[in-house]
Amino acid sequence: MKPLVWVHEDCLRQEAPYWNQHREAPAVFVFDDEQLEQEEWTLKRIAFLYECLLELPVEILRGDTVEQLRLAQQAYGCDCIVTADTPEPRIRRVIEALRQHTRVEVAPEEPFVELDDRVDLRRFARYWKQAQLKLFPQ
Amino acid sequence: MEAGLGRGDLLQRAVPAEPQKPADGLRKLKREFSSREELARYLQEQFPRPAQRDAHLSPIRGGRSQAEAALAPIQPARYAFTRNYLDGCVTGLSPYIRHGVIALTRVREVALSRVAHPFHASKFVVELAWRDYWRRLYGLWGQGVWQDREPYKTGWAASDYAESLPVEVEQGRTGLACMDAFARQLAETGYLHNHARMWVAAWVVHWLRVKWQAGARWFLKHLLDGDPASNNLSWQWVASTFSHKPYFFNRENLEKYTRGAYCQKCPQRGDCPFEGSYEELHRKLFRSQVEG
Ligand SMILES: Cc1cc2nc3c(=O)[nH]c(=O)nc-3n(C[C@H](O)[C@H](O)[C@H](O)COP(=O)(O)OP(=O)(O)OC[C@H]3O[C@@H](n4cnc5c(N)ncnc54)[C@H](O)[C@@H]3O)c2cc1C
Repeated sequence: MKPLVWVHEDCLRQEAPYWNQHREAPAVFVFDDEQLEQEEWTLKRIAFLYECLLELPVEILRGDTVEQLRLAQQAYGCDCIVTADTPEPRIRRVIEALRQHTRVEVAPEEPFVELDDRVDLRRFARYWKQAQLKLFPQ
Repeated sequence: MEAGLGRGDLLQRAVPAEPQKPADGLRKLKREFSSREELARYLQEQFPRPAQRDAHLSPIRGGRSQAEAALAPIQPARYAFTRNYLDGCVTGLSPYIRHGVIALTRVREVALSRVAHPFHASKFVVELAWRDYWRRLYGLWGQGVWQDREPYKTGWAASDYAESLPVEVEQGRTGLACMDAFARQLAETGYLHNHARMWVAAWVVHWLRVKWQAGARWFLKHLLDGDPASNNLSWQWVASTFSHKPYFFNRENLEKYTRGAYCQKCPQRGDCPFEGSYEELHRKLFRSQVEG
């Protein structure tokens, strides 16, 4: 397996599980022009991310995310893409599109607290009642 | 904005791998800058449309080293009783946490290591848990965080609220010293204290009767920690479309937690829309069937 690490805006650190296992692999980040327009990003937000990226061993790309990732995969001779899981629908859509032509491994984040799948999320108080037992065991 | 721009910093610190094959079509951006001004100029050229919305950098800098610098002095025990004050012991970690520059679990561990008993860090851990909670809901609802999760509990229907924000609000030119200062701070720095976010959101939704979605879009444009999970669901919490009752405040509350920074010099002093008891404001803002 020769992975390309896709670093996206929800997980900019090398110690995260998705990247930590592949520290020697090429890594890329893509500024997606369509996203920047749709979400009306201001320059200061771009600059903040850019400064984070400059401290990481990552190639900074721009354009259509799926297309740039495909091109990067070819250029680096990689046979799969690894990335971090996130609830962000845009990133989830990109992952689905990538899966049309390559293998994508999506590593879960370190959980803040491990809760039963059936945890009641209707209000914070209900969630906290259960989270508290795990975070502050008596 | 010029303030905060460091001079002569060498910004490049890490080197990525080189591609094996010629990389036709790969649109690489530059990684070497001799100063923050040079970075700003480069980004203005590369991203002209975002630069039309605003072209300056925030005094808050990105990067792991900055995140560590913000993490080092945290005081979770003091946080518990000062966090509601604008000058309280809040951490400024949100832009780094939001982009995963540091893990929420690591922030929690550092907080717990700073206190004699875990209980002393519990208020801080509860706030971290809010982020986890909103993200779990985002995982379930996705784009659904843009829809009213429940009806407004203000006595007004969603159709009673305006679709868009008055321009003076975004520009910070309404004449209300507090709200204008918050709007300008948001645009200049991309950060607002939690209490300021709550006041601004309550003012937009309950006083100006504008849909929370318009306010949420405004915040997301500017916030360095801008995140549809925490942002939209907090707006919904204030609006009452994801809570049992609307959040609102009065002038006395704002004056207390800002330590009088705005009220004294406000052009609308004496004619403040936030003046009054909670009961009076409740009667003014909401239709009568709503409980206080
Ligand atoms: C209308 C409104 C919009 C908001 N939009 C966002 C947003 O887009 N992104 C965002 O991260 N937070 C948002 N918040 C939550 C909160 O205001 C910020 O997380 C907090 O002010 C960030 O400052 P800090 O890092 O100094 O916080 P601290 O008080 O030092 O808290 C430490 C960390 O805990 C987390 N946290 C604290 N309070 C909350 C909260 N109420 N909800 C979720 N996480 C919390 C943040 O990650 C924060 O960095 C919003 C709140 C409101 C009322």
